[in-house]
Amino acid sequence: MAGSVDLIEGRSLPAAIGRPGPSAVHRLNPLTKATLATTTSVAAVVLGGLVGPLLLVAVAVVLPAIAAGVVGRLAKTALLLALPIALSAFLVNVFFFPGAETVLFRIGPITATAEGLGFAFEIMARIMAISGAVTLFYLTTRPADLVLDLERRGVSPRVAFVANASVQTVPAMVERAAQITAAQRARGLDTEGSPWRRVRGIVPIVGPVILGSIAEVEERTMALEARAFTRPGRRTLLWSPADSRAESLVRWGLLIGLVALIGLRIGGVLA
Amino acid sequence: MTLTLRGIGYRHAGAPRPALLDIDLDLADGTVVGLAGASEAGKTTLCLVASGLAPRTVGGRIRGTLHLDGENVDRWPMHRLAERIGIGFQNPATQLSQVAGTVFEEVAFGPMNLGIDRDEVIDRTWEALEAMGIEALAERDPERLSGGQQQLLAMAGLLAMRPEHLVLDEPTAQLDPAGTALVADAIGRLARSGTSILIAEQKTDLLAAVAGEMVVLAEGRIVLRGPTAEVLADPRLDEVGVALPSAVRLRRAALAAGLDPALVAETAA
Amino acid sequence: MTELAVEGLAHVYAASGVRALDGIDLRIGAGERVALIGQNGSGKTTLVRHLNGLLRPTEGRVLVGGDDAQTLTVAQLAARVGLVFQDPDRQIFSGSVRAEVEFGPRNLARSGRELAAAVRESIAAAGLGGQEATNPYDLGQSRRKLLALASVLAMRTPVLVLDEPTTGQDARGVDRVSDVVRSVSTEGRTVIAISHDMRFVAETFERVIVMRAGRVLLDGSPAEAFAADAWEALRSTYLEPPLAARLGAQRGVGSTPTDAALIAALAARERD
Repeated sequence: MAGSVDLIEGRSLPAAIGRPGPSAVHRLNPLTKATLATTTSVAAVVLGGLVGPLLLVAVAVVLPAIAAGVVGRLAKTALLLALPIALSAFLVNVFFFPGAETVLFRIGPITATAEGLGFAFEIMARIMAISGAVTLFYLTTRPADLVLDLERRGVSPRVAFVANASVQTVPAMVERAAQITAAQRARGLDTEGSPWRRVRGIVPIVGPVILGSIAEVEERTMALEARAFTRPGRRTLLWSPADSRAESLVRWGLLIGLVALIGLRIGGVLA
Repeated sequence: MTLTLRGIGYRHAGAPRPALLDIDLDLADGTVVGLAGASEAGKTTLCLVASGLAPRTVGGRIRGTLHLDGENVDRWPMHRLAERIGIGFQNPATQLSQVAGTVFEEVAFGPMNLGIDRDEVIDRTWEALEAMGIEALAERDPERLSGGQQQLLAMAGLLAMRPEHLVLDEPTAQLDPAGTALVADAIGRLARSGTSILIAEQKTDLLAAVAGEMVVLAEGRIVLRGPTAEVLADPRLDEVGVALPSAVRLRRAALAAGLDPALVAETAA
Repeated sequence: MTELAVEGLAHVYAASGVRALDGIDLRIGAGERVALIGQNGSGKTTLVRHLNGLLRPTEGRVLVGGDDAQTLTVAQLAARVGLVFQDPDRQIFSGSVRAEVEFGPRNLARSGRELAAAVRESIAAAGLGGQEATNPYDLGQSRRKLLALASVLAMRTPVLVLDEPTTGQDARGVDRVSDVVRSVSTEGRTVIAISHDMRFVAETFERVIVMRAGRVLLDGSPAEAFAADAWEALRSTYLEPPLAARLGAQRGVGSTPTDAALIAALAARERD
C-alpha cells in the first residue's frame, strides 16, 4: 500500500533509510506524482477558457499542496519560475491582441484592449497550472525517491541520474549567482542604479556562473566515476519507493482522462 | 598490491606543456606516501593519473604505464579501477552524489554501483562508516554536515569500495582548523591500520605526521624523494616552493642563531 | 584616526533566524593590520560583509570613515572598503589579467594615467607582472587568487578586507600575500584578514581578534592572543596557537607568537 517502503527483510539498515515522507502526497509513488504533473499541464493547455485551467490549479495543484503542507513554498517557487514568461505573455496579449475592438486605454501609439486582457488572463491561468504542477512535483519528491523508482522500473541509472542532477543544478546556480553578484558589487558593480547599468552588470555575473557551473559538473563527474558509477548494468538498490495497484489504476485513470479530454477538444465539444 | 607508475608523462587536453614528466613511483602495500610541491607543480595531475581518472575521464595524453601488482591496467575502464584505487578531492561538497538522503546511503553509493549482493552492500557500508568513526552520523543528511564531516563521509564512500590504495588530493585544503584536525586524525588512524595512501598536501606538518616517505614535485618532475625525515631536512625544499614544517623551520633558525636545537624540539604532551 | 567603528552590531539572518552576530563593538584605526580568526560559524564572514554594505545591521551600526554605512550604497562603500572573496572563480570574468584588474577601478570612475598606474602596481604587487594579456583561466588556481587580490588592490581603497587569502596557497603565495599586507599597511591603509593560518596571522598582523558564536572572545596583539592564558579560550573555538607560542610557554620565556620572537627570547636567556 502506498506509504510504506518496500524493504526486503531489512538487515540492520538504519531506520531513517527510505523513511516515508511527511505527508500522504509525499508518500505517493514518484511516477504517480509525475503523471499528475504531466496530465495537469497538458489538460490546462487543452481546456479552453479561464474556468477550466483555474479549476485545475485549485484541484490538482493547490489542494494537494495544502495536504502536503507546501503551499507557501509552492507559491513562491512557482511564481518565480513562471514570472518571466507570464509577464511577457501578459504584455503581448494586452497590447497586441489581433482583431480586438474594445479599447481599455492608450499609452501613446499602443492600445490596451479588453479582449487582449481576457486572453492574457487565460494564458496566465495556464502558465500557473503548468508551473504549479511542476513545482508541486519537485517539492514533494526527494531526489532519491525519483532516481531509485526509475531504476527499479528498468531505466538506466545514468539516465535517471542525469534527470535528477539537472534539476539539482538550478538551485545551485541560483546560489552561485548570488555569491558572484556579491563579489562583483564589492568591486563597485552598481546593481542599484539605472536599468542600463544593471543590464551591463549581467556580464560579470553570467560568465562566472556558467564557467563555475561547468567546473562543478566536471568535479562531480570525477567523483562519481571514482565510485564506479559508469559501470554498465544494474545497480543494487537498498530500497525503492512503494507502489500499489490503486496508484497504478489512478495513473491509468489520469492518462485515459487526458486522452478523453483531448478527444472532446478535437471533437469540438469543449469551448 | 603495489601500484606502479613507470615513465609517466601526461599532458592535459589542449595544454601547451606537459603537466608530468618521467614519473616513476611505487606505492607499496601499507605505505603512506606524502606528495608535496608548489601550486601547479603537478600534484593534482599525479593524483588523477594514479587513480586512472587521467586520461580516462579527464582526457589528455598519457605516456608510460600503470601497473597493479605487475598487471598492466592501461586498458582498464574507470569503473574497474575504481574498485582497486579510490580518489578523494579537496571540495567536500562536490563529492556528494546528491541522491542520498542519509550518510548511510551516500556511503553505500559505491557498493551499490558494483551490483553486489544487497547484504554485502550493507556490511561494507557499516564497515566503512566504522573505519572513519562516523557511524553516529549514519542517518544524517549529507548536505547538512560540516566540511570536515563531509570529507570523512567522502573517504568512507571510497573505503566502501574496498580499494587497495587511497589517493587523497589535498583533503584539508578547504577545511577550517576543526575540520582539518578531524580529517588529519582520521588519516592518521587509517595509516596506522595499514591502508596504502598517497596524499598530496600543502600542509607539510600534516605530511610529517602521517607519511613514512615523501615525494616532491616541481614543474611536473620528481625532484626529491625518500624517507620523510630526510626529505624535510633537505635544503632544496625551499627552492622548489614547499613550506617547511614548523618544527623543521624552528630547528634551522635555532641552529643559525647558535642555539641548541633541542631547545625548540617539542616535548611530548 | 578611527577608520572603522562597529557599535553594538547584531545580525540575524532572516531566512534561518540565526543570530550570527550578537553585539560587536570594535574600533579599527587607519593603517592597522588586523587578523580575524575563529571557526566557521563564529560570525567572521558576517561581520566583514557589514563593512561594505553587503549585509545591513539588524541592531547597532557600522561607521566607515566616520559615516554611517546605512547611508551609503554598496557601490559607494566599495570605494572605501575593498573586499576580496575567498573563491577567485566566483569573481573573475574577464579574458585577460589586465581587464580583470581594471574592472574595479573603472567602476570607481578612475581613468587615464591614474588607472594605468593603479593597475600596473597592483599586478606587480601580486607577482603577475608580464602576464597582463594572459587569460585568467590559463593561470593556476593560486595565481588566480592573487589576481583577485590585485583586482581589489587596484581600487586603492583606504580599507582592504581579505577573506581567507592564504587558503589553497603554496609557500610562495603566502609570502606574496604577507608582502602585500605589509606594503598596503605602510601606505596608511587598513588591512583586515580572515584567516585559519595561525602562523600567517602571528607573523603578519599586529592585532588579532578572536570570534566565537557571534561575539568577540579576545582582542589583542599576537603575543596576547597566543599567550598561554589565552589557550583555553582559543581551544574552545578549535584554534591552536602557533608552534613558536607553544614552545615559548613550555620553555618559560614568555609569549613568543613568532619563530623570530622565540629564537630571540631563547638567545637572550642563553646570554644571561
